[in-house]
Amino acid sequence: MSEERAEYLATASGSPPDRERLDLIRGILGEEATWSEPPPEVGDHLIAAIATAPTVRSSTSSRQRWPLAATAVLGAAAVVILVAGLLGVFSDPNRQMVTIEGTELEPGASGQAWIREADAGWWVRLEVEALPAAVEGTYYEGWVWNDDGEGVSIGTFHLRGGDEDVILWSGVDPADYPAIWVTLEDEDGDAAASERIVMWGRPDES
Amino acid sequence: MDRETLDRFRDGDESAVKTVYERFRGPVFAISLSVLHDHGLAADATQQTFIKAWQAATTYDPDRELAPWIYAIARRTAIDLYRKHSRSVSSEDVDSMALPPALDTIWEVFEVRAALDRLPEEERQVMKLSHFAGLTHVEIAEHMGIPVGTVKSRSHRAHQRLLDMLRHVGET
Repeated sequence: MSEERAEYLATASGSPPDRERLDLIRGILGEEATWSEPPPEVGDHLIAAIATAPTVRSSTSSRQRWPLAATAVLGAAAVVILVAGLLGVFSDPNRQMVTIEGTELEPGASGQAWIREADAGWWVRLEVEALPAAVEGTYYEGWVWNDDGEGVSIGTFHLRGGDEDVILWSGVDPADYPAIWVTLEDEDGDAAASERIVMWGRPDES
Repeated sequence: MDRETLDRFRDGDESAVKTVYERFRGPVFAISLSVLHDHGLAADATQQTFIKAWQAATTYDPDRELAPWIYAIARRTAIDLYRKHSRSVSSEDVDSMALPPALDTIWEVFEVRAALDRLPEEERQVMKLSHFAGLTHVEIAEHMGIPVGTVKSRSHRAHQRLLDMLRHVGET
């Protein structure tokens, strides 16, 4: 019986009694989804998300948040950006949280950027709320920006899959590039940052 | 998966989460793709599934099987993403899109993929070339550069092993 069933599963020849069940398995074996692999970065992002997670589970909680430090109002490119300068830093010096706020383009958006140093760079996990999904043909791009006006891209996202967390990667030290920007970009091949800044934040410097 | 790993997973240990991810990433991605039919969304669903599993790991009982627990999270996550995406692409006939069409067999997809991941690589490759690529034994032999007899024996062993691991699949 076992031989007959295995033969049927392999070749669909014969008449085993559980033919319907074997046909179901055969059908699944022929599907693309059955054989597909998640992209390698999913595992990396998972580990980074866990490592930078603010919601530390009760049994492992060791974090300590610094108190509210300051707020600031900055002007940039004719856009006045209100910054709620909440800075939280874990007792672990490698973990840092920066509050990011929506600009006048997305005034309802809010969130945090969790930064954690890794072996060869920094993971930046964005938790954003009320930032709408980028419409087809556009995407969001994260940047770190220094005080000399130089920005470095840290990755892109679109949120069309929902309001899931976003994992980005910085190759430059956020201490040297303290401001975090999120811009809305067109899929036009232009690598430069657009002027459509939708979110902004930087750690308090006091 | 050994008990020590399951205990460490419940305690939120990062390396145990990684082990669980390596063990179940294939089945979770397979059902995510079955539901969502989009590789990017399926990748998002897979990542969210394991983050949720990690966040909820304190509720996991290591005396029980991990696979159904992970499956339940993955299924819910994929359905939620499907609904969100359905709403974002069209507001018409939302009710008919409230549930994805592939739900009746995704547990079987999860089980089949998990079983395939436990096959020796050379047997798994024969299965893939046979069932997914639709190659004959002769063609598989040419593709892999091995004798046809070896393909046949690997195919036979692989199907036997798979059936052993899938004893309960499809039973009601």
